[in-house]
Amino acid sequence: MTFSRRSFMGSVTNGLQGAALAWLFSRDLYGGSGLLAADSLPDTRPAGYNLLPKQPTFQPRAKAVIQLMMQGGPSQVDLFDPKPELDRNHGKSILKDIAKNLSSPDAAGGLMRSPFQFRAHGESGMQVSELLPHLSKHVDDMALVRSMFNTHQNHEPAIYKIQSGKTMPGLPSLGSWISYGLGTLNQNLPAYIVLDSPDGRLPTNHVQNWQSGYLPPLYQGTRIRSKGVPILNLKPEHSEPQPVEALSRDLLSKLDRIHRNQRPGQLQLDARIASYELAARMQMSASDALDVTTETAGTLANYGIGESATDSYGRQCLLARRLVERGVRFVQVYPVGQQWDNHRDIGTSLPKICRTTDRPVAGLLTDLKQRGLMDDVLVVWGGEFGRLPIAQLPPGTPAKRAGRDHGPTGFSVWFAGAGIKGGTTYGSTDEIGWRAAENRVSVADWHATILHLLGLGNDELFFEVHGFKQRLTGVDKPRVVREIMS
Amino acid sequence: MSCPVKTWSLGALVLAVCATPWAAPAADNPPGETDQPLVFESSIQPLLARRCGKCHSDKIRKSGLELSTMAGLRRGGESGESVLAEKLDDSLLWQMIDGGDMPPAGEPPLTDPEKQRIRRWISTGAKSDGTHTATVTQHDILPFLYTRCVVCHGRRKQSGQLDLRTVESMLKGGKSGPAIVAGDPAASLLLKRVHAKDMPPPRELIRAGVRPLESPEVALITRWISQGARKFDVPPDVQTTESDPLVSDEQRKFWAFQRPRKPPLPPVSGSYSNPVDQFLARRLNARQLEFSPTASRRTLVRRVAYDLTGLPPDWQDVERFLADESDGWYAKLVDFYLDSPHYGHRWGRHWLDLCGYADSEGKRSADPVRQHAWRYRDYVIRSLNADKPYDRFLLEQIAGDELYDYENAKSVSREMMDALVATGFLRMAPDGTGSDIVDTVEERFEVVADEIEILGSAVLGLTLRCAQCHSHKYDPIPQRDYYRLVAVFQPAYDVYDWLKPTSVPGQSKQANPNRRYLKYVTENVKQKWTVTRDKHRARVAALKQPLTDRLTALREQHLKQQLAKLPETLHADLQKMLNTVADQRSEVQKYLADKFGKQLSVSDAQLVKQNADLAQLKKTTDKQVKELQTQAPPEPLIRALWDRGTPSPTWIFRRGDFKNPGDLVGPGVLSALTDGKTPFVPQPVRPGSTGRRLAFARWLVEPEHPLTARVLVNRVWFHHMGRGIVESLSNFGNTGTRPTHPQLLDWLAVSFVENGWSLKWLHRQIMNTEAYRQSSHTSPRLLQRDPDNRWLSRMPLRRLEAEAVRDSLLAVAGQLDASTWGPPVSVTVQPDGLVVSNKTDGGWKRTIYVQQRRKELPTILETFDLPQMMPNCVERPNSTVAPQALLMLNNSLVRAWALAFARRIEAQAPADRTRQIDRVYQIGLSRNPTPQEKQYALAALEQLTAQWQAAPEIEASKDIPAATRALANFCHVIMNSAAFLYVD
Repeated sequence: MTFSRRSFMGSVTNGLQGAALAWLFSRDLYGGSGLLAADSLPDTRPAGYNLLPKQPTFQPRAKAVIQLMMQGGPSQVDLFDPKPELDRNHGKSILKDIAKNLSSPDAAGGLMRSPFQFRAHGESGMQVSELLPHLSKHVDDMALVRSMFNTHQNHEPAIYKIQSGKTMPGLPSLGSWISYGLGTLNQNLPAYIVLDSPDGRLPTNHVQNWQSGYLPPLYQGTRIRSKGVPILNLKPEHSEPQPVEALSRDLLSKLDRIHRNQRPGQLQLDARIASYELAARMQMSASDALDVTTETAGTLANYGIGESATDSYGRQCLLARRLVERGVRFVQVYPVGQQWDNHRDIGTSLPKICRTTDRPVAGLLTDLKQRGLMDDVLVVWGGEFGRLPIAQLPPGTPAKRAGRDHGPTGFSVWFAGAGIKGGTTYGSTDEIGWRAAENRVSVADWHATILHLLGLGNDELFFEVHGFKQRLTGVDKPRVVREIMS
Repeated sequence: MSCPVKTWSLGALVLAVCATPWAAPAADNPPGETDQPLVFESSIQPLLARRCGKCHSDKIRKSGLELSTMAGLRRGGESGESVLAEKLDDSLLWQMIDGGDMPPAGEPPLTDPEKQRIRRWISTGAKSDGTHTATVTQHDILPFLYTRCVVCHGRRKQSGQLDLRTVESMLKGGKSGPAIVAGDPAASLLLKRVHAKDMPPPRELIRAGVRPLESPEVALITRWISQGARKFDVPPDVQTTESDPLVSDEQRKFWAFQRPRKPPLPPVSGSYSNPVDQFLARRLNARQLEFSPTASRRTLVRRVAYDLTGLPPDWQDVERFLADESDGWYAKLVDFYLDSPHYGHRWGRHWLDLCGYADSEGKRSADPVRQHAWRYRDYVIRSLNADKPYDRFLLEQIAGDELYDYENAKSVSREMMDALVATGFLRMAPDGTGSDIVDTVEERFEVVADEIEILGSAVLGLTLRCAQCHSHKYDPIPQRDYYRLVAVFQPAYDVYDWLKPTSVPGQSKQANPNRRYLKYVTENVKQKWTVTRDKHRARVAALKQPLTDRLTALREQHLKQQLAKLPETLHADLQKMLNTVADQRSEVQKYLADKFGKQLSVSDAQLVKQNADLAQLKKTTDKQVKELQTQAPPEPLIRALWDRGTPSPTWIFRRGDFKNPGDLVGPGVLSALTDGKTPFVPQPVRPGSTGRRLAFARWLVEPEHPLTARVLVNRVWFHHMGRGIVESLSNFGNTGTRPTHPQLLDWLAVSFVENGWSLKWLHRQIMNTEAYRQSSHTSPRLLQRDPDNRWLSRMPLRRLEAEAVRDSLLAVAGQLDASTWGPPVSVTVQPDGLVVSNKTDGGWKRTIYVQQRRKELPTILETFDLPQMMPNCVERPNSTVAPQALLMLNNSLVRAWALAFARRIEAQAPADRTRQIDRVYQIGLSRNPTPQEKQYALAALEQLTAQWQAAPEIEASKDIPAATRALANFCHVIMNSAAFLYVD
């Protein structure tokens, strides 16, 4: 063992002062050779959890993921999965068959045709609804999966399932698993960033959407808010004069140095110093990453920024691009509230949410492509479930106000970007668009496919809890959907 | 959490036997066999009986699998799948044999000809001569009726006078006639209604928490009816006096399943008065190590204070112990903090982690609040402060409701109420079934499974959950034993007869939600409530008074005006009529009322309409009253678990799946922890109770129980020494770690029981050691010889836990509200996403009294690793991450507390910087500053003051003098310092 007390102390002192200085002068004096990298230190930390980049199991196709989390349940038969049978059988009751899937059986109407027109697009001829005119231009970059299914018909459990593989809270989310498996390329930003609802309200299931469960808290998602202070406690509510902050940090650094010098070999204290350093760097890097003023007018317009319907979601999509560009591994983007949850008035409520997201999502794909990021970044779009093919209509409501109830048994999601064979349409639902029929894709399959594209083998990515290997995809063997890969 | 499913019993991963060439004809085939398809009864059954019968006969059925009949093969084992299949390669039987997994290592393997014979039999369609047709018993189909029907046709309710729980009651039927006709499925009403999809009624499914029967279930019911709907005598699987075939004595020899025995004290060099030191020193000496030097006295005071109370020591206490020259000063120090009421707050919290304490139901986004859960929290704190013996503590928590006949008691005693409150232990698991849509057998069973997991991890130190789906892969816990535990809890937690928790708002249409409360509180508690309730009512009345007065005045005025319009002769009679209540009026008065009543009276609404100022008064009063009503003290209730009498049957759920029921089992304990020959005999104390949990609890606290005391002393040891003697605190099984000091563990466990299961005895025994008093300083030599401090060559340096961080900040800032007990302080989610606990009149209460909701943990606590209870927390993570630094540096509350700290210091030492610095160190760090620290601090304070004097006005600190602001900066630095957040 090489244990040089002097180099040990030296790096510690520099480390802490570095933090203080970086804080003050807004530049990173720390350089690449960090305290924790000091080779003279014995590394006896019991579990060396960190966010340094790690080798995937095999050659990855994608380096980063943007997950467009469309929670609420986008209606597949109105967006991606046209069903002529619904036109033919409009109004027919299937209540006795479908009752167990209904949260409110009293409101169950008959089969309902889509009020929207579908048309073939691109070279692939993929069928997309008139509600998504901008996205339709990208069908040849997308792989559409029409045979996804979830196991629960209520939002909370179904969202947990999408996020963490099981219908209950408390388990590590997809982004946490990916951060744990791959680390991140930029140590000055969190590995896993959540761009949640622009109106500041937390999405359904709140912060449990990006929790790390039994994985160390290091891997949980960091929520970045589009308004106000972007990261919790990133800056004081009322800042003090800069010289005051400087004097305080300097004193803290001196006192901690004395404390540290009296306790050689206590690695916890090094980690603490490192965490104060990262805090300082995060203050700067986060501000830079979130500053969109440097973007051109063309780019902003591409995302629909500046137009009232698309401005807020457009900004989130643009931020997502800026973050993956800076090496963030996993970015999760939420639209406002539960707008895909079209229990009623689907004729007007669905077009509304499409108007706010269609242009920004298409803009994101355009922007990624222009910057060559499509080769590195995987974009996944989808909700926790789709919707039922029957009308939902509380007694006494006029038929034109009908909506659709939750439909977990078959729905559509899509992939685009790194490793994806554009123009693919994969799997199908039954004739009425109720249940996934051919080439069914479970949530575990979906997870395994994303992990696979990142070079992570589902079997190899595990965490031991009480001697048992826990995995994102649970005990059943998932199937990687290779058919959608290039 | 579930574990990888493996179908058969312990797979021996010996060499994978190379399959012989498949085409090779078997040499020992009986003549003619190659031409004819093989038949099970003549060719296969004898072979399986010979080779596999030791574990898979109709008697033994290891892993639930029986290979003596075709029915057994088709039925399969714990995985719930047939071991046969249409294709050879899909057959589990063939996979196990071909892969060499079966027979397991140590048993004679199958010969190649035997393998070939089985292969050929399966390949040719697995024929049988039909003499072994599978008989369906009522226990094959009853689970489906329990899952889908008995909620309306069972014990609590018999819609259409129909009860579907027994064969007799099905044949008897209800209003519409018999439900089944033996031998005639087509004529059976039950099946008719099911086929028509009228039953279960489609529109009632969600409300009733059921789903329609699935087609394999209907098929099986049909078969049972067509076979004559016969009732077989199926006894539940329980332990008898004959030795258990599924757990061997060999397996019982594992160290943790053996009773602890008190070992002799080891010979060591050096003289240690405490046996704990003797055991430790022997291991250290063997590695040429010895205890580190004793830590300084002020270090010890701080260490002991934090360890036992979670708070920094008061400076006057520090000074007292520093000045104490007696030999016993240290023992006095330990006793002093053991006697502190804050001891229960600190160690109670450790226990609350284990039981998964939460003030909310969890599972759903709404996360409904459990209004009376806090009584259990108070019970835990009180019990620990009173040093309640651990055996009693457990007995009350697991079976408190079975200890007393509370229903028939003349008055409810404190002990009785405590025992009922204690059962809250078994009500802590997250529970989403307050929402109708997730109130099915599946989700209910998840709650039961969580409770068993809590019990297993907290008390038994075993990973029981693995056995929910299949026999434990590493420990001798058959799936059967898991379901015997389920049966122990079934009288209180019946998945077919469920008591719902707090409703999720808008998600429940049940008539009687939230039925998990008992009213058996003491007279004292009831009286206190009556007093506060009456006070509250008086406050409401007082609030309403001005409005009432005004309304009365206006009404009288109205009456006067109206009377004036009527002949004066009538006035007296009318007044009299108005003063008489309606049903006591005479005929004449009735007449008067009829004729003039309407004219004379006026409603509040009319008055309000007529008077704008009154309308305003009514609006504000109504609003204030409504607000006040939310503070009405709720009737004192106990959130309890209790035995509700004979429960539904318990069936094994193969693969953990309620749709895949297996054998019927009865209550019992874990066979591996017994001699395997002792029947489980409940002896109920309370009339109407089954006594199952009481019997289980009594077994758990037997003085020689292999695990109860060991697991507990190991946990206490862990909290004191930073690492368990068994490092895997909640897994003493085969996959857990072995004890570093097995003899010490047993010595402590046995002595603990001998000393009346006293926790405070245990603390004294552990803390009054050389080991505990060691310095935490390390050195290259220590790091090399004992890198992870396994041998305790030093004390670990430790960061404060989440609660201690918050409580210490409050304590030094002088903002800690010392009041104790009662409903928790609520938390608020600020618009920026920060979650903070609310302030009380006296400051902020200790963290243990802050509401513990699952969805929103106060940010400061979550940042410092307060866990989510899912379902409990057996060991907290200890992270060091940037958000902690950001929080301590930038959070407004922390800054506000720093200012409060500064003001406290100024009040004690106005205008004297040197003395102020001394006080900050004494209060914040329990010591005096060194000259160098003092010098830095003085210089910084001087510069800070100057900067503040020169700084432009800042809104937030307008009225605060520069000197105070500078001192607040210094206090903030101390609160951020490593010296504050770490304990040596």
